[in-house]
Amino acid sequence: MVPSQTATQDPESEPGALQPSTPLVPTLPTVCLVGMPNAGKTALMNALTGGSFRTANYPGVTVSLSRGKSKRSLGPEVNLIDLPGVHSGVAPSPEEELACTVIEGRNPSVCPDALILVIDATQLERHLKFAGYAARSGKPIVVALTMTDLLPRSGTSVNATRLEAALSVPVVPVDGRTGWGVDELIKALASTIERGSDPDNVLAALPDEPVAAYDAVRELLVRSGAVKQHNPLILASDSVTARIDSVVLHRYWGFPIFFTVLVGLFASIFWAAKPFMDGIEALFAGAGHVTLRILPDGAISRFIAEGVIGGVGAVAVFFPQIVILFFLMTLLEDSGYLARGAALMDRPLSVLGLHGRSFVPMLSGFACAIPAVLAARTIPNKRERLLTIWILPLMSCSARLPVYALLLAALLPGSPWKSGLALAAIYISSLLIGALTAGLISRLILRKGPPSVLAMELPTYRTPLLRPTLKMTWIRGSSYLKRAGTPIIVISAGLWLLSNFGLGSRQPRSPDNAPVPVVAATDLEHSFAGELGQGMEPVLRPMGVDWRVGVGLISAFAAREVFVSSMAIVFHVADTDEGAQAGLLQSMRLATFPNGNQLIFTPSSILGLIVFFFFSLQCLATVAVVRTETNSWKVAGLQLLFYTGIGYLLSSALVQGLRAFGVA
Amino acid sequence: MRLSDGRHNQRYRIVRLEGPDEECRRLLDLGLTPGEEMAIVQSVPLGDPLVVLVRGTRLALRRREADWIRVK
Repeated sequence: MVPSQTATQDPESEPGALQPSTPLVPTLPTVCLVGMPNAGKTALMNALTGGSFRTANYPGVTVSLSRGKSKRSLGPEVNLIDLPGVHSGVAPSPEEELACTVIEGRNPSVCPDALILVIDATQLERHLKFAGYAARSGKPIVVALTMTDLLPRSGTSVNATRLEAALSVPVVPVDGRTGWGVDELIKALASTIERGSDPDNVLAALPDEPVAAYDAVRELLVRSGAVKQHNPLILASDSVTARIDSVVLHRYWGFPIFFTVLVGLFASIFWAAKPFMDGIEALFAGAGHVTLRILPDGAISRFIAEGVIGGVGAVAVFFPQIVILFFLMTLLEDSGYLARGAALMDRPLSVLGLHGRSFVPMLSGFACAIPAVLAARTIPNKRERLLTIWILPLMSCSARLPVYALLLAALLPGSPWKSGLALAAIYISSLLIGALTAGLISRLILRKGPPSVLAMELPTYRTPLLRPTLKMTWIRGSSYLKRAGTPIIVISAGLWLLSNFGLGSRQPRSPDNAPVPVVAATDLEHSFAGELGQGMEPVLRPMGVDWRVGVGLISAFAAREVFVSSMAIVFHVADTDEGAQAGLLQSMRLATFPNGNQLIFTPSSILGLIVFFFFSLQCLATVAVVRTETNSWKVAGLQLLFYTGIGYLLSSALVQGLRAFGVA
Repeated sequence: MRLSDGRHNQRYRIVRLEGPDEECRRLLDLGLTPGEEMAIVQSVPLGDPLVVLVRGTRLALRRREADWIRVK
């Protein structure tokens, strides 16, 4: 559901090639983990590698593979690659398609020496049928039997020795979450690789046609006597899961429970992260001050303090929210509830042309659009995936929060509860307008294309274990930092340079007639950014703001919240620790257009700015991620123009409309 | 009859799938093969999708997909 392998960005490598920096050891054999979704592959990968695996982007279709080396303590080392889970080789999602190319030996860059087939013991028939598909590659195979701890719930037992005899491939029961059985698996793997592939492989002889394949699998299981059914009512299945589902999918209680979970999730993201965010903000502000004090005064020390440290801080301040989001999403995913959420939302979302699986990306979008765009990978239908990615920038991401907080404080001074209500209205509208946009686009533009299939497995409920959850959170969080952090830091450093340097010939002359440099350090008004802002002034006029706000809007393309610190710079607010916000509000209240005493921040222009931030895609990092995920500059560029254009037009229309009706 | 007209907690046997080829192949791959027993265990609050049980697995199927499945 959530991107199970988040990718690092690597636009340079050739199609089909993997990152050259991956820690694969050429002398060791390469082994791929294959299986159906929810088979427990990622947990097993974690146990085999000791959690030290890297994710690499796969260019072209942009799905990622996790790769790592097995722990030395487990036995002979191997290179490991965790492939995305496959439901079926027919009409696959991009994730599934990648796994299929490797399994079928069509992949030019990943050619494993052996496969670990990860098979869920509670769903032997389905998983063994898939095993037949994987075994046809002719590679040596070891079966890792997972979820054996869940067998008692359905009153079943599976005899691994008998299964091994029947399949004629090694079968090793494992629990990736605790590491149980993993050393046995490595031992079996080493001897299997040594022996080479078995020409009389029973699994490979299974037919390709699904009905015949299922019949053959059932016959094989019955003949082997590997499965004992203690409960004659097989359809009763796992009673714990049935009981939980009857509550969380209840006709009346289903949605209230779902919304309670969502509210809890958001409450934790915003409130639990607050102290950490304040701490990080203070830390980076302190680091900036210290840098300025230690280094000799000059452009370089200011660049390091404001451009670099400030840029890193702009990324780091959202890290607590992202970590909490990933942690809770991993918990929900591992417990099995996330799939229920997708099932609940499938009906309303499919009316809009989206898919039940669009729900997780949309949810993530309220924290940050970047992990949300990545999460859209699990949507099999291309049209629905594209539409989901298209509306994600509308979800009110947390980088907008500081901007709204500042603007609402300026609009509604002295009444925090009104600001709170307004903020809630903004969040709800972002969801409604996202829905409206999706509905309109799917009806007007993306009408063609085959209808999609839901047919989604609802996994068995399990109590998530803390350690694997924390590890997964760390892996996802650090890969987010790499992916989103790099562009934000580069852009913010670049914008700092633009707003602190300008053409030498345009600068006010110094009295000593020194030679004029081509580029000179300068104040904001004479900088490149200032000139750009002043050049844009005619465009900004309809929005009711001047060039200084324009500079803030441009700088917000690094990350939206940078708007707040830019406002502090352009309105020359002294950086006091306590009263920065109050000082900024005071300066904004008094700010006038340079040529008169007309106020800049009036109710209409503030509302206009809120509308602008609501729609505009002011996040170049999102544009970069959409470009790699859709493999199309066209989609990313159109999206940028579409939302920024709509933001500009609606904001201007609102300001002019309000002023026509006499609102200042 | 169609699975979508079926009652909850009643066992049915799949007779055949009638729908677009590719989509039906996906359902077959998931284990919804003719001759197999299945049951609707639940429907989600808005009545769609249905939660069905087949081969020990719970699947969420849209009503449209359940329409393709002929059962008795």
